[in-house]
Amino acid sequence: MGAQFDITAVFEYFVKLLPFIKISLLIVAGSIVVGLGVGFLVALPRLYRIPVLQRISQVYASFFRGTPILIQLFLFYYGLPELLKTVHIDVSRVPVLYFVILTYGLHSAAYISEGIRAAVTTVDRGQIEAGYAVGMTGFQAFTRIVFPQALAVAIPILGNLIIATLKDTSLAFTLGVMELTAKSQSLGQLSRHFIESYIALAAIYFILSFLLEKVFFALERRLLRHESRSETAERVSLGKKWLKRRLETKVAWTKGGTGI
Amino acid sequence: MIKLSRISKSFGRNEVLKGIDLTVEKGEVVAILGPSGSGKTTLLRCINYLEKPSDGEISIAEFTVNCRKPAKKDIHTLRQKTAMVFQQYNLFRHKTALENVMEGLVVVKKLTKEEARKLSAELLEKVGLGTKLDAYPSQLSGGQQQRVGIARALALNPEVILFDEPTSALDPELVGEVLAVIRKIAKEGITMIIVTHEMGFAQDVANHVVFMDGGVIVEEGSPKVIFQSPKEERTKQFLARITPESAYSI
Amino acid sequence: MTLDPSFIWTAFVQILPAIPTTLYITIVSMFFGLLIGTAVVLIRIYKVPVLHPLAAGYVTLIRGTPMLTHLLLIYFGLPMLIDSLAESFGWSFRSVSIPMIGFAYISFSITAGAYMSEVVRSGIIAVDRGQLEAAHSVGMTTFQALRRIVLPQAFAASLPNLSNGVIGMLHGSTLAFTVSVVDINAQAQIVASSNWKFFEAYLAAAVIFWGLTVLVERLTALIEKRINLYNRGGVT
Repeated sequence: MGAQFDITAVFEYFVKLLPFIKISLLIVAGSIVVGLGVGFLVALPRLYRIPVLQRISQVYASFFRGTPILIQLFLFYYGLPELLKTVHIDVSRVPVLYFVILTYGLHSAAYISEGIRAAVTTVDRGQIEAGYAVGMTGFQAFTRIVFPQALAVAIPILGNLIIATLKDTSLAFTLGVMELTAKSQSLGQLSRHFIESYIALAAIYFILSFLLEKVFFALERRLLRHESRSETAERVSLGKKWLKRRLETKVAWTKGGTGI
Repeated sequence: MIKLSRISKSFGRNEVLKGIDLTVEKGEVVAILGPSGSGKTTLLRCINYLEKPSDGEISIAEFTVNCRKPAKKDIHTLRQKTAMVFQQYNLFRHKTALENVMEGLVVVKKLTKEEARKLSAELLEKVGLGTKLDAYPSQLSGGQQQRVGIARALALNPEVILFDEPTSALDPELVGEVLAVIRKIAKEGITMIIVTHEMGFAQDVANHVVFMDGGVIVEEGSPKVIFQSPKEERTKQFLARITPESAYSI
Repeated sequence: MTLDPSFIWTAFVQILPAIPTTLYITIVSMFFGLLIGTAVVLIRIYKVPVLHPLAAGYVTLIRGTPMLTHLLLIYFGLPMLIDSLAESFGWSFRSVSIPMIGFAYISFSITAGAYMSEVVRSGIIAVDRGQLEAAHSVGMTTFQALRRIVLPQAFAASLPNLSNGVIGMLHGSTLAFTVSVVDINAQAQIVASSNWKFFEAYLAAAVIFWGLTVLVERLTALIEKRINLYNRGGVT
């Protein structure tokens, strides 16, 4: 199968793949924006225990965490136009990239909503009380005390999710989006040098997730500088999808996938 | 002057406070004693509305809140007139010792950062933490954290400081340093209400002692009277059980 | 093309026979993943020379790249490797005799191994060192202590992570279609395209996956309840 292994081809393909990083990162960025918005909306009913809506949020999270992203991609790509047709909206001309971003966004939202919930609930109740005790209003106590502490918890969760989403974007090719994986497949098919193009592909993903990891680690360290060393030292590195449940709260906010 | 009238509080069907009346004069140091579950901490937390009383009236320096129908603004004003020192310290975890003290000054009292920093540094110096200004709570011992908590409360220059068992969470060897600081500020004429288990300390520092049990004030009076010649049987029993054991930590 | 609700049921029934394939892939990759993962942890704990940096590199590389690339590399790379080795050593074995699902098994086990090593490691870390010392103090050998004291506690501690791992591999098995293995996802594709009813077919597949996932979660909760009694510290 294929031609003789040729190491120079790896470098050649690596360079040829570089421009397609944009598309993959665009999907990641777009889906995180969608995910943050939707995730916040999904988290609110559960944080404030709003009846009915709370239940809907639970089902939402369960569905998007309970089905493979690949199935979700197909489901939205084929299903959404049909659903929208019933309310007379024609989306047949909408580029497939939007469907992909929407699907990854809704998928991430399920994890983000759990993350927000976990982050807010880890902040000790005593912190808010202390805020009140020095005379802060509820809003001041939230913005100055709860939010910064919750953010420190949320940043690593978000970092994991972004790296996981990056790896998940390798599935967008199934709907015909010309991102990194699709391009490397077509490069391989043209020349029969499959192995070389996939090695180049893996290298690019690796470098990207490595860089993202570094950025988030630095950010986390900055945000958690108030915690003593021992508490932050024991961390799993790189794309830690199923971070240990460091939190007392009994919520599964880790992304339960190997990052396909 | 602080005046609590008919303060009551129920958790579900469980009545924790059964109409408490208490008056605290300006500059007075009041110690509230009582077995656990007597409602003493709940009473303290009602004063700054961390617990919402079911009924009653709280009045601090001519400012009165009707607990039946408190306005949000009133609760906020009440909290600005009080400060609290917590059992679990509750220092803001993401802020340094100095920033913890500054926080209320900047956000609530609207001081400039410079003024706040100067005042906060002085107060930390006063509680013996002049060298720990930039330490985060996680880098401080329990006793040090609690002293920051006291500085944070002092900074607000409140009508009253509420102490909620300030030494209960501390290792025995750290209790002394915290009590020493409280003793020092008690001499400066700051009004204080202290819920505590440290009998010797209460006897020593308080001008007025309140003994609570079962959601009511059983007996109150000067430390001399309460500790040496209590009238009520329940007070006697409580003191008999608790005094010998905690005597060591005076 | 309009929605045909009755076809969802038809598709559901037609996809059902593919469930075992998905489960095989999940179970095999989890099993070997755990073996590889445990080996990696032991190598890293005991800092075995040469193997130690290799193990670390393996975990970092696998976790930094998508599972799909592992499958593609194994699918295209392994035959090249085997055939060239076979040629130079004169073996009669050729890569064509590897069944397609074999590539999925191998590749997914490699993927799972890296993730499982983290799970195993955090499980072991979760067990207090005092436990081992206490076991020694009552006269147990290290082996006895590990088997009777440390491992059961480590297992209890890593149960949530293991469950997440199973779900991850279950969902990841949908990639098997790229090497022409007919799992739930591939079967849904077949049902969808032969009837031109994509939405219905994928809806049925989604329901099946959702059901399987919920099943794994429920089972985990059940096991957790049974083995974690000691953690709750109260009478139940």
